[in-house]
Amino acid sequence: MKRSAAGLFSLLMLSNCARAPLGYLEGEGPAARSIASLGWGLLGISVAVCLITGALLVFSIFRRRAQTDGLGRGDDRSSLRWIGVGLSVTTVLLLASAVWTLWTVRGLSDTSRAAEVNIDVTGQQWWWEVRYRSDTPSREFSTANDLVIPAGVPVQLNLRSRDVVHSFWVPKLAGKMDMIPGQTNRIRIEADRPGIYRGQCSEFCGVQHAQMAFFVIALAPADFQTWWNHQLEPARNDPKAIPQQTFIERCSGCHAIRGLPAGGILGPNLSHFGSRRTIAAGILPNDSGNLAHWLNDSQGVKPGSKMPELHLAANQVDALTAYLEGLK
Amino acid sequence: MRTLFGAVGLAFAWASSAAAQTPTPAAHTSLSGASATFDGAGKPGEWTSQARDYANTRYSPLNQINAGNVATLKIAWSFSDGTQFGHEGAPLVVGDTMYLVTPYPNIAYALDLTKPSPSIKWSFQPNPSPTAIGKACCDAVLRGWAYADGKLIYNLLDAHTVAVDAQTGKEVWRTKMDDVDKGVTMTMSAFAADGKVFVGNSGGEMGVNGWLAALDIGTGKELWRAHAVGPDKDVLIGEGFNPFYPWMKGKDLGVTTWPADMWHTGAGASWGFISYDPDQKLVFYGTSNPGPRVPAQRPGDNLWTSAMFARDTATGQAKWAYQFTPHDEWDYDGINEAVLLDMPIDGKVRKTLVHFDRNTYAYTIDRTNGEVLVAKNFAYQNWSTGFDMKTGRPIVDPAQEPKPGVKLDRVCPPDIGQKDWEPPAFSPNTGLLYVGIFNICMGLTDHEASYIPGTPYDGMEMERSSVDGKDGNWGGFIAWDPAHGKKIWEIPEKFMVMSGAIATAGDLVFYGTTDGWFRAADAWTGKILWSQKLGSGIIGQPITYTGPDGRQYVAVAAGVGGAAMVQKSRAGFPPRGNTLYVFSLNGDAIQSPESPPRGASAPAAATPQ
Amino acid sequence: MKLAKSILGGILVAAIAAGVAGWIVSSRHAYSQLKGGEYEATSASLPLGDVAGQSAAILSAETANPEASDPNAVAEGHKLFISMNCAGCHGYDAKGNMGPNLTDTYWRYGGTPAQIYQSIASGRPKGMPSWGKKLPARSIWQLTAYLQSLGGSFPAKDYQAAMQGDLGDKGQGKGASDQQ
Repeated sequence: MKRSAAGLFSLLMLSNCARAPLGYLEGEGPAARSIASLGWGLLGISVAVCLITGALLVFSIFRRRAQTDGLGRGDDRSSLRWIGVGLSVTTVLLLASAVWTLWTVRGLSDTSRAAEVNIDVTGQQWWWEVRYRSDTPSREFSTANDLVIPAGVPVQLNLRSRDVVHSFWVPKLAGKMDMIPGQTNRIRIEADRPGIYRGQCSEFCGVQHAQMAFFVIALAPADFQTWWNHQLEPARNDPKAIPQQTFIERCSGCHAIRGLPAGGILGPNLSHFGSRRTIAAGILPNDSGNLAHWLNDSQGVKPGSKMPELHLAANQVDALTAYLEGLK
Repeated sequence: MRTLFGAVGLAFAWASSAAAQTPTPAAHTSLSGASATFDGAGKPGEWTSQARDYANTRYSPLNQINAGNVATLKIAWSFSDGTQFGHEGAPLVVGDTMYLVTPYPNIAYALDLTKPSPSIKWSFQPNPSPTAIGKACCDAVLRGWAYADGKLIYNLLDAHTVAVDAQTGKEVWRTKMDDVDKGVTMTMSAFAADGKVFVGNSGGEMGVNGWLAALDIGTGKELWRAHAVGPDKDVLIGEGFNPFYPWMKGKDLGVTTWPADMWHTGAGASWGFISYDPDQKLVFYGTSNPGPRVPAQRPGDNLWTSAMFARDTATGQAKWAYQFTPHDEWDYDGINEAVLLDMPIDGKVRKTLVHFDRNTYAYTIDRTNGEVLVAKNFAYQNWSTGFDMKTGRPIVDPAQEPKPGVKLDRVCPPDIGQKDWEPPAFSPNTGLLYVGIFNICMGLTDHEASYIPGTPYDGMEMERSSVDGKDGNWGGFIAWDPAHGKKIWEIPEKFMVMSGAIATAGDLVFYGTTDGWFRAADAWTGKILWSQKLGSGIIGQPITYTGPDGRQYVAVAAGVGGAAMVQKSRAGFPPRGNTLYVFSLNGDAIQSPESPPRGASAPAAATPQ
Repeated sequence: MKLAKSILGGILVAAIAAGVAGWIVSSRHAYSQLKGGEYEATSASLPLGDVAGQSAAILSAETANPEASDPNAVAEGHKLFISMNCAGCHGYDAKGNMGPNLTDTYWRYGGTPAQIYQSIASGRPKGMPSWGKKLPARSIWQLTAYLQSLGGSFPAKDYQAAMQGDLGDKGQGKGASDQQ
């Protein structure tokens, strides 16, 4: 019974992993792979132990016993042998598991390879602030929800929180790390290949915890530098343009766009918004229709989120949508 | 024989003790060897600019009032101007007329000193915008005004500069310098030199883009404008720029020492006093703190804030610059004035400037190239563990660096420094500088701030108390030797001393406290020779002048406000005021022949018997 | 025996199913309650002085604070007070700095909730910015609730008495005094 259940389980997993963006069994980075293989290995050991123990139990239940007169024999050496064998095998297996686990965990915090990029990620209800650090101060900038990294190299993340405890988890790349207010936790992630990997907040943090997702976009190192340089370019400041005026009038108390006199830090930085993958922390794909929906009815999309109902006129929504999507 | 010896011995003893008691003719020599040229000063009895001369010495050659007779100083007359904000400027005396300008609404008055005073010759109402009141961080003050080319030139709180004809009181020109709704105000004293007038903006707490500009005195047209942040072409840094220290050499440092695009709101406003060296044709002035006032939001050295520039007066191009507090984390503006002195340092006479910074270091800097010759603390501080003379940078104590949301219990000095904008005076006789100081610390918590134009780009939550507990001495007045970096004497004061200082040839120094005491002290010893309590706290700059009657007068405004308001909940802190007090020996002043002399009773009407 | 077991088993399953269904239904209901309260963005005109001209106001001066019943309103208002830079002008303790003291009973432009709301929404001539477009009505009411919690404001229903100065001493018959 246990055998079939385990087999069914593995079969289900294998069939689903290709379609599961949060599937952690298929690691795409060294950290995730080492965790996944540890997991499979411990599972294998556990299953084997269960099978052997089960077999022995079944054997001992159904074994025919020699007739006795009810009195036990003085010599129980064979029983003791069984206990001895069992204990030693178990001890060896447990020690091996422990060593393997510790080795894997140690490997996760290995800093022998220098991190190519240093990024501050700050969780807040219910989105992710991403700030790229640099030795040259003028190359530092903030963005939100999309974490773009170079593929094939370790990236150091400094995890913080502005309000409650969140947790940073990109299942295909690394394990979880909590984001605790007042503290900075560090984690390294690395993607083997360029690709898109989904992340999720994994510590309950309020009503919209379930809709606090993000994407890690790994680019080839040359593409990553191009992307970084592009992000540094400020938006064009045209004080007479109506869409810009609408943005500054209605949105800049909470949102910032580099290049405009708009410096709100309560909500996500909207510089280069047009090139983001999603709206509202991974909830809606980023296109004009969804953006208009978000601006018209943020509380319908993400009830309880801090983005208020704006009561914008239809032409204002159109102007803002076109403007923001145009910030590529 | 024994009696004779005894008598001789006694006589000897008496003579020597008498000799010891007789004051030896004092070989009073300058303690520092510092000297100044007093270029730009008017006649000895005049006070034609805020600092009296281009070098900013605030030294008067008058000695009719001196250490011997100052105890007889009394109020001769007073003038209330009807406004309610802090009074920070010094009245000007040109010829027989006194010129003064009120804080907002910046009304200018010309007083005729030949008549029984005060006698208003004319007044001028510029009508600045009331929006400016809510954008001025530190009270709606005006820190002074300039007289040049027959015009009274001054800044309005709403970021305009205005010139008024000194004879008629009519407006000659008005130039708009910036946008008050973006949070820019102007509070500094316009400074006239080399045929131009120099003005700068305020708003270091409002995320402005700081600048200094030169205007044509005749027309008010802008000749050049030098920013404190941004690319070299905005900061007017070109081929001739040669800072002394390597860390200030490089291209576009006003951009690269800030996170992407944050220099636009980096402040570096120029709201302090300006000095002028006519030999080098350079003006010297400082720049404010960086914006926002939360250092965690702006890693980098944040050039060119909290720094001093030396600029060519004709083109505005910077010759050198020196940053006092790289990556300032506590609001230590660099705007305090530069007093231009020549003095012997290590045996060689150097052309220097002396600058008491908000960060509590008193700098003596070579004014030809920006090299720091002396950097010593003039008051108590705990943010820095020392000064590295090799690199020219202060050594920051990491425990005193604020992080958002974490409270630092005791950072000294507080944001306003142990000396704010209040200017020092120099006496060529003693060779010392005299300046009012504070003795304050702060508890500090930073909060990350949004930039919303027209609102503060701030984030510093502070409680201030004295260095020795909540209600100790909050101020003092010191004498400083700039060649050796030493304090010579200090007068402790219960309240902050935020008034200007003046030094006179009568070996006197005058200063006022923020609880209203106006004092005269002996320049050599620091002994207080005279005090008078005035109607409000004193944050203005005193002057001394000779009236048309040949008498020497000392004048100071009493109207507390400005940064002194951090003490407003202390017992003994006075209410606001708006009165100019003028003192003379025995209170003598010009009396009209018709009015009865002081003390006589009205004559009885003659009645037929 | 077997029948009893299966009946018990069935009841257990039904109970669990009912619990799960009920939880799903109630959380849907709670979810819909999370949407922010809806207010008309008010561009009200409110008399700044007395009503000699009897001009009609859209927002009555005696309107109470609709956020008064929300226990989180004061805390949210306090957060907004800091993040919208109010603390930068009025002080982190709201006792005044560049802008006036908001904890005493002196109100240049009126101290009832509707008048405070109006001052924040439309701005005032001596440098108070206008927030009516930048912040939704609910946030401005939350800020008002925070200011009301500081003790200097007047009750909405006492608008007349407040305007006439009868509440300057908070109706206690004694002003604030200061022994030195």
